[in-house]
Amino acid sequence: MRTAIAALCAAALGCAASRPPAPTAAPAGPVPDTALGLAKGSVFDVPAPPPWKPFDAAPGAAPLAARPWPGAPPVVPHEIAAFLPITPASNSCVDCHAVAKKEPGQATPIPPSHYVDLRNAPDTTQERVTGARWVCTACHAERTEAKPLVQSAFVP
Amino acid sequence: MTWTLSRRDLLKAGFTSAVVGAAGLPVLSEAEEKAQQGWQWDKSVCRFCGTGCGILVATQQGRVVGVRGDPASPVNRGLLCSKGYALPQIQYGADRLTRPLLRKKGGRFDKQGDFEPVSWTEAFDVMEREFKRHYRALGPTAVGIMGSGQYTIQEGYAAVKLLKAGWRSNNLDPNARHCMASAVAAFMQTFGIDEPAGCYDDIELTDLVVMWGSNMAEMHPMLWARIVDKRLRSPDYRVVNISTFGNRSSEAADLEILIKPSSDLALWNYLAREIVRRGAVDEEFVRAHCVFAAGPADIGYGMRDSDARAFAAEKDTQLRERVVVLTREEAVGRRLDPSQRHERKQADAAGAGRHWLISFEDFKKALEPYTLDFTAELCRGDRDEPLEGFKKKLSQLADWYADRKRKAVSFWTMGFNQHVRGTWVNEQAYMLHLLTGKQARPGAGAFSLTGQPSACGTAREVGTFAHRLPADMVVDNAEHRAHSEHLWNLPGKTLNPKVGSHITQMMRDLEDGKLRWLWVQVTNPFQSTANANHWIAAARKMDSFIVVSDVYPTLSSKVADLILPSAMIFEKWGAYGNSERRTQTWRQVVNPPGEARSDVWQMMEFSKRFALAEVWGRQPVPGLKAEGFEDGQLPDVLAEAESKGYGRGDTLHDVLFATPENRKVKWPDPVARGARNGTVEAAGVEWFVEKALFEDYARFGRGHGHDLAPFDVYYRDDVRGLRWPVVDGKETPWRFNDAYDPYARKGSGFDFYGKAMKAIPTGDLDGVIDKAPKPVPGKAKIFFRPYAAPAESPDQAFDLWLSTGRVLEHWHSGTMTRRVPELNAAVPQAVMFMHPKDAEARKLRTGDLAWVESRRGKILVRAELGGRNRMPRGMVFVPWFDEGVFINKVTLDATCPISKETDFKKCAVKVYRAEALAKGVTP
Repeated sequence: MRTAIAALCAAALGCAASRPPAPTAAPAGPVPDTALGLAKGSVFDVPAPPPWKPFDAAPGAAPLAARPWPGAPPVVPHEIAAFLPITPASNSCVDCHAVAKKEPGQATPIPPSHYVDLRNAPDTTQERVTGARWVCTACHAERTEAKPLVQSAFVP
Repeated sequence: MTWTLSRRDLLKAGFTSAVVGAAGLPVLSEAEEKAQQGWQWDKSVCRFCGTGCGILVATQQGRVVGVRGDPASPVNRGLLCSKGYALPQIQYGADRLTRPLLRKKGGRFDKQGDFEPVSWTEAFDVMEREFKRHYRALGPTAVGIMGSGQYTIQEGYAAVKLLKAGWRSNNLDPNARHCMASAVAAFMQTFGIDEPAGCYDDIELTDLVVMWGSNMAEMHPMLWARIVDKRLRSPDYRVVNISTFGNRSSEAADLEILIKPSSDLALWNYLAREIVRRGAVDEEFVRAHCVFAAGPADIGYGMRDSDARAFAAEKDTQLRERVVVLTREEAVGRRLDPSQRHERKQADAAGAGRHWLISFEDFKKALEPYTLDFTAELCRGDRDEPLEGFKKKLSQLADWYADRKRKAVSFWTMGFNQHVRGTWVNEQAYMLHLLTGKQARPGAGAFSLTGQPSACGTAREVGTFAHRLPADMVVDNAEHRAHSEHLWNLPGKTLNPKVGSHITQMMRDLEDGKLRWLWVQVTNPFQSTANANHWIAAARKMDSFIVVSDVYPTLSSKVADLILPSAMIFEKWGAYGNSERRTQTWRQVVNPPGEARSDVWQMMEFSKRFALAEVWGRQPVPGLKAEGFEDGQLPDVLAEAESKGYGRGDTLHDVLFATPENRKVKWPDPVARGARNGTVEAAGVEWFVEKALFEDYARFGRGHGHDLAPFDVYYRDDVRGLRWPVVDGKETPWRFNDAYDPYARKGSGFDFYGKAMKAIPTGDLDGVIDKAPKPVPGKAKIFFRPYAAPAESPDQAFDLWLSTGRVLEHWHSGTMTRRVPELNAAVPQAVMFMHPKDAEARKLRTGDLAWVESRRGKILVRAELGGRNRMPRGMVFVPWFDEGVFINKVTLDATCPISKETDFKKCAVKVYRAEALAKGVTP
């Protein structure tokens, strides 16, 4: 089945020679609808979602995930439930990450961009993380150990 | 959870943290800057929600490699949410569709066959054959298109033209019907014209933000960022979150008010009563610019009016479409004796939107029952919250709304729109803002937010609805049809005057065998339509042909007969319109993969297969009754077509798309700056299809209050979208206000100039007294709407409320975002949020597998007792993005009877432990 699905997949993503190959086209055969989509099987079935467990690595315990492309915001490499909620009065992310420089064993610093208020004062650097970036979870995704549902042919 | 900010709190919160020395705008590290060398940047628009964030998209060697929030965009000023930052990755899932796939057996199309790759020619051959088979047998109502609020403006316009002018069907409806049709209906009824008066600048200009059924922190994160920013900078700024459960938007709220489903109707009336009682009505504004109105109350729930196809278990809910016994609260809210039994035939279901003028005295009388005591008891959503404390919250909210010195903005999204009284509750928001004069002013207004990137720009403005034509015009208005026929150079009476089927009705038509040929574009309706067990069965079992154009295999494509591979946002030219009327455009920056093609190309190419003689002859339309038309018939318009110079053999392609005017818009065009155009290349034409369609469409709105700027203007380096109406090169931040809106009569102060439904009968709270239409030009209507119970409420058998919705990390049915590894890892599956006590009673812990079952279906889901939402006892929340956790098998397809928008926020379910289930099952 795998090959049959691959056969339908991007054969011509326009990759340059320097890039890893996109999924290759195998001999095309008929594919039942049950092999399509993110939930395999018939739409009339009721699948049981796989077990999951919350990501419980403490800050610093798990390695940083590679960013998908240079400039992408990093995903959070540790559990965050204990550090939420982020409110106007408290932000545990800022408490740890508002450091100027990366020190061994310490939190990744919030980058300088986060101290520039692009709406109200774009030419100056503030002393605090700007309000528009206050809710860290809006941009920085949390993570679990879940594996990709389908491979990604994205190449930065 | 409420938060009052003090200086001490600020210090505690880490605001004194590291001072960073670098000046200017140090966005990137050195390493990042190096890695980005050779990237080419172009301005573009986010693919996801209705916020409409401006982006800069980077390409290298023909591929999208990165993205930035556009620092010059006034919407989002350089920031994006985690979905926005995933934009470079969304088109590169390994199972991207690159060839048409047709169900075949023995080398031929067979509905029971498996999918095999075919050429575009073979795909269109079968599509055409099946179309003509059904069209010849049943006429234009047998065919339909389900579109989207994610259509580009050009795609939506092409669909309107092809279906309404070409095929003479009105069965075109977008997924936006599920998203903001209630907002549309209320705009039309209140103002006579669609879309918000205000703009996002209101966020910074106001003193009070009240969110009603809008979890903005997750659903419009970059607007939320602006609210939080303002909240942190302004100690007197207040944020209120009104919801049926606690969510992330509560975390920065000064006041969280948890209400029971549907009780928002009562809460508005309490607030209005307080405004009147406290003398907080802006009498001058109301006298000069408003009238009072009411409508019928027994309007049903938009369900099928027959239970012939209902499952045995759903028949009792279905019955409520016909007869309802009022609850005690409904009786009180309608000034009836609550000790009596009130059985009401839902006699006004068909005329639900009809309304009439009432007096201010009647309006006040209608509000009388909504005292604090009555309202608090009815509304309190968390039974564990003390009633007295809850009452204090309601009074506090009334204090803020009533305070003349405090500007106020009310935002809402799906909590209001997906509501069996969605139109009413939208109108109630205007009721309060109009009463207090806090409308159409900078920093003050009731502001409907849309969910999708072009729900406004395309679905509403272009009019991809079953009842609409471009620029707020409607098919059942003879003048509007004639105007459209004139602009499109069509013979008179080409357009069908009978409103088509809305998207849920199209599903019902499919089940009834009335809709036989369906083209699904830019949407996943078999996952997103409520009560889905009916529709997936209908799709597979009826004699019908379903085409799904998409970029990945979706749940809908699994029940399709033909799957067509489409180009994604960066692979085509396009334009979107966001929630604040901002039209934004982009260039194609990469090519579509394989044989994937733009939706515009697909429609244009398919239109070549229709000669005028096949569609513009006499056509049956069951139920058609309109002045100047024979009952049940569309006339033959070929003779007039010939007198206009068309030939009977001319194709719809020539008549609708490759018109002489459109062909004058040449490709290549300097605006492209070297960018390619997949539509033009695949079509082998020398005209700029997307520009021509944009300008073709823009003729409808210019001079009619919907003015768009010329196409090229949006591509200028100094433009980041423009809010229409754009008149003399100037955009309009606030409509209806004569200081800002060129359409508002100078000197009027405010001019609610919308023209629809502006002559109505006069009556009292019980009905019409004088049928003669009274004109109310320039006025907005303040509606009284009573409390109404939901279509279905928990009982002994189904004892919990179910609400559904989105999560920040996934867009709609997840077909793009779940293919981005980081977003999938963030939220890998839909879970059921539940109160720990409800879970304990069912022996469920976090992670346990449970059945969620309604009268309509059941699914398996894992429980979550914590996480980002705090459920009150008695309610569960299950997001709908997960194809495997197919929650719309459980939800109820009841709609607002006026807007026909489904209520996805409330139905009754039971939840129980799934024992020892290793695998999925077929129940």
